[in-house]
Formats: sequence, C-alpha cells, structure tokens
Amino acid sequence: MISRVTNATQTLNAQRNLQLSLQRQAQLYDQATSRRLLNKPSDDPTATASAMGVRSDAAATAQYQRNVGNGDAWLTTADSALTSVETLMRRVRDLTLQGANDGAMSPEAKESIATELDGLKKSLLSLANTTYLGRTVFAGNSDAGVAFQPDYSFTGTAGSTVERRIGPDTTVRVDADGAAVFGTGASSVFALIDNTVNDLRTGVNVTPRLAEIDDRMKAIVGEHAEVGGRQTRIDKAKDTLAVGANALEGQRSSLEDVDLSKVILDLKTQDVNYQTAIAVTARVLQPTLMDFLR
Amino acid sequence: MSTFSGLNTAYTGLVAAKAGLDVVGQNLVNANTQGYTRQRVTTSGVPALSSAGLFSGGVRPGQGVTIDGIQRLDDAALDARVRTTTALSGYTNTRADALATLEQSLNEPGTNGLSAQLQKFWSAWGDVANQAGEQAPAGVLLGQAGSLVTQLQTGYRSVDDQWTTLRASMDGMASDLNTAATAVADLNGRIRSALASGQSANELLDRRDLLTASIAKLAGGVVRPNDDGTVDVLVGGNALVSGTSTNLVKAAGASRMADAATDPARLEWAYRPGAAIALEGGSIAGAVSTLAPADASGTGGVLAEAAVSYNAFAVTLAQRVNAIHSTGATPTGATGLDFFAIDPTKPAALGLSVVPTGVGQIATGTPGAGGTDGSIADAISQLGTGANAVDKQWSSFVVRVGVASRTEKQQSDLADLASSAATNAQLASSSVDLDEENMNMLSFQHAYQGAARVMTAVDEALDVLINHTGLVGR
Repeated sequence: MISRVTNATQTLNAQRNLQLSLQRQAQLYDQATSRRLLNKPSDDPTATASAMGVRSDAAATAQYQRNVGNGDAWLTTADSALTSVETLMRRVRDLTLQGANDGAMSPEAKESIATELDGLKKSLLSLANTTYLGRTVFAGNSDAGVAFQPDYSFTGTAGSTVERRIGPDTTVRVDADGAAVFGTGASSVFALIDNTVNDLRTGVNVTPRLAEIDDRMKAIVGEHAEVGGRQTRIDKAKDTLAVGANALEGQRSSLEDVDLSKVILDLKTQDVNYQTAIAVTARVLQPTLMDFLR
Repeated sequence: MSTFSGLNTAYTGLVAAKAGLDVVGQNLVNANTQGYTRQRVTTSGVPALSSAGLFSGGVRPGQGVTIDGIQRLDDAALDARVRTTTALSGYTNTRADALATLEQSLNEPGTNGLSAQLQKFWSAWGDVANQAGEQAPAGVLLGQAGSLVTQLQTGYRSVDDQWTTLRASMDGMASDLNTAATAVADLNGRIRSALASGQSANELLDRRDLLTASIAKLAGGVVRPNDDGTVDVLVGGNALVSGTSTNLVKAAGASRMADAATDPARLEWAYRPGAAIALEGGSIAGAVSTLAPADASGTGGVLAEAAVSYNAFAVTLAQRVNAIHSTGATPTGATGLDFFAIDPTKPAALGLSVVPTGVGQIATGTPGAGGTDGSIADAISQLGTGANAVDKQWSSFVVRVGVASRTEKQQSDLADLASSAATNAQLASSSVDLDEENMNMLSFQHAYQGAARVMTAVDEALDVLINHTGLVGR
C-alpha cells in the first residue's frame, strides 16, 4: 500500500528533517568551537576510560618531574659540597705532610700549620652541615638542623635515606651518607684533624696520620662517585619523563581532541546539506491546488 | 409516479452537495488542528418507490440521494500503534534524560571532574614527600584534600537533588494523568449521549483520542472500546477510566532519596494505598524505574546506584589512605593517626572529612626514620597509580554511567523513531490533504450545479406542459 501523502505529513517530515539537520550542525559547531571530541562519557565510553587513565598517568608523570627537579637540586648541593670537601682535604693532607717534616720545622711553623688545620676543620664541619631548603644533605631524614653536632656526633639515623620517586616503582637516593663521608664521633675526620693538630702542638710526629687521612679521602671520593652515579640516573630520568609526558599528551589529544580539518570539512558539508534542505522544503511546501484553480 | 418527483430528486442532490461542501469546509478549516481526523459525507441512492397494483407497470428511476452520515476516517489499529510506541518513547525518554543529567554532573573527562581533583590530591602528597614536615606543601595538601571532599559532596548532592526533582515531577505527572482520565470519562458521557441521539460525535472522538494518547505517554495503558461508543482505559490491568467513572491515581513513596530504600517511589490507586501499579510504559514508569532503590547486584535505579557508587568511593578513599597514614609518624613522632574520617550518621560521601588541620598532624614518615622522612607520604601518593589505583574505582563508575547513558540514548532514539513512524502512518490516513479537499470541493460544486440544472430542466418541462399545452396555432 502506498502511504497517503498529505500536507500535514509533508510538513511534519520537513520539520523533522530540518530538525535533524540542525542537530547535526549544532553538534559539529560544538566540536569545532570546543575542539573537543569527548565532551561527556557517553560520547565514547571506551575512549573516556582511556582518556581518564592517560590524564592520571600524565598527572603522575608531572609529579615525577617535580620530584626529579627536587632530587636534582639535592644531588647538586651534595656534589658541590663534596667537591669543596675534597679540595679542603687535599690541603689538609699537604699541611700534614709539611708538618711531618720534623727536621725542617720549627715549633712556630708547626703552630701555624696547626692553626690553619684548625680553620680547615671548621670549614669542613660547616660543609658537612650543608643544607638544601633547610634540610641537611648529609644527615638523611634528621630534623636536628645540623648533620654533625659540635662534639662530632652524627644526627642521622642509619638506613634512613632520602628518596625521590622518579617512576611508579623507582626511587633514587638523593642524600649523601654523612657518616660514610665524614665518619662519626672519635673516628670522624674532624676528630682526626683535631688529633693531628694536637700531635703537631705536642711535638709528636704526624706521619702516621697521613695514612688515616688517605683512608678518609678514599671514603669521600667513593661517596662522591656514588652521588655522581645517582646524578646520572636522575638526569636520565628527567629525559625519559619529558619524552613520556610528550607521548601522554599526544595520546590524550588523540583521544579527546577533534581533527579540526575534518570537523570543518564536515561542517561545510552539513551547511550545504542544511541550505539544500531549506531550499527544497520551501519549494515543496509552496504549491497547492488552489494556486491553479481560478 | 408524481409529475413533480423529478424536482424532489434534484432537491435531494442539492442538499447532499451542500452537505458535502459543508464537510469539506470543516475539513479545510481544521487542516492544522491537532488530532483532527478528516471526515466524509456518506451518501446512498434512494431506490425507486415500490409500486403495487394491476396498472403499476413500467420501470421507475430512483428517488434521489440521502445523506447517511458523516464518516470519520480514522484507523483504530494505527491509533493503537501510536499509543504503544508513545508509551515506550515516554519511558525511554525519561530514563535517557535522567542519565544525561547525571553524566553532565560528573564533569568527566576534563579538568573539572573528580578525577582531576584526585590527581591534584595525589600530587600534593608527592610534594609533601619531597618536603616532609614543611608548612607550605602540607598546607597545599590540606587544601587539595578539602577540595576533594567538597567535590565528592557536591557530586553526591547533585544526584540527591536530581532524585528529589524527579520525584516532585512524578507528582505532577500523576496529577496530569488524573486530569486526562477525568476528561476521557467526561467525553465518554458526552459521546454516548450524542451517539444515542443520532448526532455526529466526530470532534469529541478526536479530542478523546488525543487524551488517550497523552495517557499512553504518561502511563502506557490499553484502550478498550465499548459498544455504546465509550472506551475503557486500563493501566496495569486495572481500569483508570471505565465508562464515565474514573479511578484516580497518586504518586506515593518517600520524598527523599535516603528513605527510598524502605519506601520506594511508586504510582498507586487512590482507593488502594500501598500497592504499586505495575506500569507497562510511559514517562511515569520511566521515573519510577529511575527512582528505584539500589540493590545488591547494582541493577537498581540509576540515581540510587550513583549515590551508592559515590559512597563506596568515599569509603575506599578513606580506607586506603588511612591504612597507610595510620602506620606513619608525624614529625613529632605521633603514630596511628587517620587522615580521613567518616561520620557514620550520614551517607559516606557527605560524612567524609579531613582530620588533620596542620602540618603537625600529618603522618609523613616511617616511625623512627627521622622527623623529615617522607616515605609514608610517598606511599600514599602512589595510591593514584598502578593496577589497584583508587582512581580506577572512580573511572569505572564514570564509564558505567557513560555506557548506560549511551545505551539509553540509543533506545530512546529508536523509540522516538518508532513513535514518529507510527504518528506518520496515523497522519497519512487521518490528516486533511488540501488538494484532495479542493478536488472534493470542485466535485460537490459541480454536483450542486448539476442538480440545479436538472431542477431547471424539470421546471422548463413543466412550464411547457402547463403554460403552452393547448396553445398550438394560437
């Protein structure tokens, strides 16, 4: 049966078609102006799940990048402190070597060496208490404010290291072990220099102290090398995270953002469709039999 | 046979043509009236008078035309199809609207949703881990935690508000249904008396069909015609309208979502409170299903299920953070502290609050590892990533709502399509076509002219007979 066509059904169909056409156009306008493909979860539930996961990963990566920046500053501080410590220690060794030269040294000369050594010790102690943003870089998680007390006792806790997270399962230690670098209490580098000074002043030959100084130097250089190694890891992580953040942004964009050229092309086509629909509707609804009956 | 019967035959033609023109006029002026069904004059020829007797031979012509009635060109099957499809489209539209509003309130995906706030919260923990015991990052953390709690509460409240609004609109729909039912019963009475006295009830029938369609949109329902021209409207198997009497309905059940579990929203008969009507379709059925309480399998009403998801998420968040936080120590060494607290007298999402008020109450480090240790804060910051992330629970809820909304939207589109196809079919049969009416107008006009000409011809013939007979040759 051929369905009967009346003015009412024609009008209704024309209205519905124009409405559909307008709806499609509005949707495309929406996409083109917001430049977002995903405006609500029901637009594409699967892509929504992925987009939320990607956003969460991106936020985590941004946090890792901040952690890396912070860790980098810690390691740089420790690194430059250790470089200064090594320079000072070389001076300490030179002075001790001079002081060991018993035959050529007058007590006055030895006293001047002792005074300089005392000064160097004070510099070393202040280097050992180097801080970054108020935190001592050689004392782990101690909140005492200094790594070494005036009596050379170490304030850090053994095994409590400062870690920075650079990935979901990776952390990097960003402090330097003050106990390993400087020693603690009576076996510390400060006590060693004190003993050397004492020896110089009391006329004891300081040659045996040279070996102790060398041992300490070895420990310092060893720890410095470790700090350098961790610095490399942090630098590497910085690059990796930057690449990762880029990739995540790319994924997010491909999930959420529209392909602008495609949307504009669609919009143009839809515009033409709509105008055609209007023009055709105007022609179809116009004539009735009344126009031709006179 | 009367000499003048020809005149009478022509006269019946004039009357019939005039009635036809009148009906064409009625059709044309109602061309755009909603629910109007086109009408036709039905006529039939009057047979010749039967004659009896010896000298009654000869063939006689018919006696003209009679108007049998004004037929209303409707199609009961198409009307019924419109009603069933409208009921389905009313049901799915209400559900799709509710889901669209719900998913709009989630603000996902993007930078304004709860997931973005969660990420800020985890990042704040990461910054606290970097600077444990410092005032600034702890302040940021507490601020972000406060925002997270507020956003969770706002989300829950918007679901609650949506429930309350829909419940209130159900009252309105129930009273609309009562109004329509009362009007149908009233029209039933008028149609019955019009038909009994032999008048045309076409326009009343049009109005009644419109009303039964609006009843179908609200509550589904079956329309059952009776012999006397009245119809009964059955909703859920019971009579909403029976002849000229109406059984009123009312929307019942709790007016707050919190009480909906024990007193679910429902439509019930005013004369039998407490028993829900089993609706087959219509927007009231859509509202009832959307307002239904949550159940154990997660297939209850969408709004209650969303509220349950909000609560479950709040509980998970508090438990997971507290589980780690309570093992840590504050900078001053206090241990066993909670970060989130949940007020048991309220829904979890509304009762959630942040316990610490300053840096001294945030457990950031492992006990004994030093006052500036950030390992516990770091562990909490990791709750947002990995396979077992707290965020996953939220995003799975968002995706669930998205899928449900998409499905419901598709069903609603399909139902709309079916409904508009049915309406189209109904209109194709019942609506007024201007061209057709114009042609009818012409034919009735010509019929009128023809009948008038016959009358003139008979008149002239009689003139010849009466005035000119016997005057031959004069």
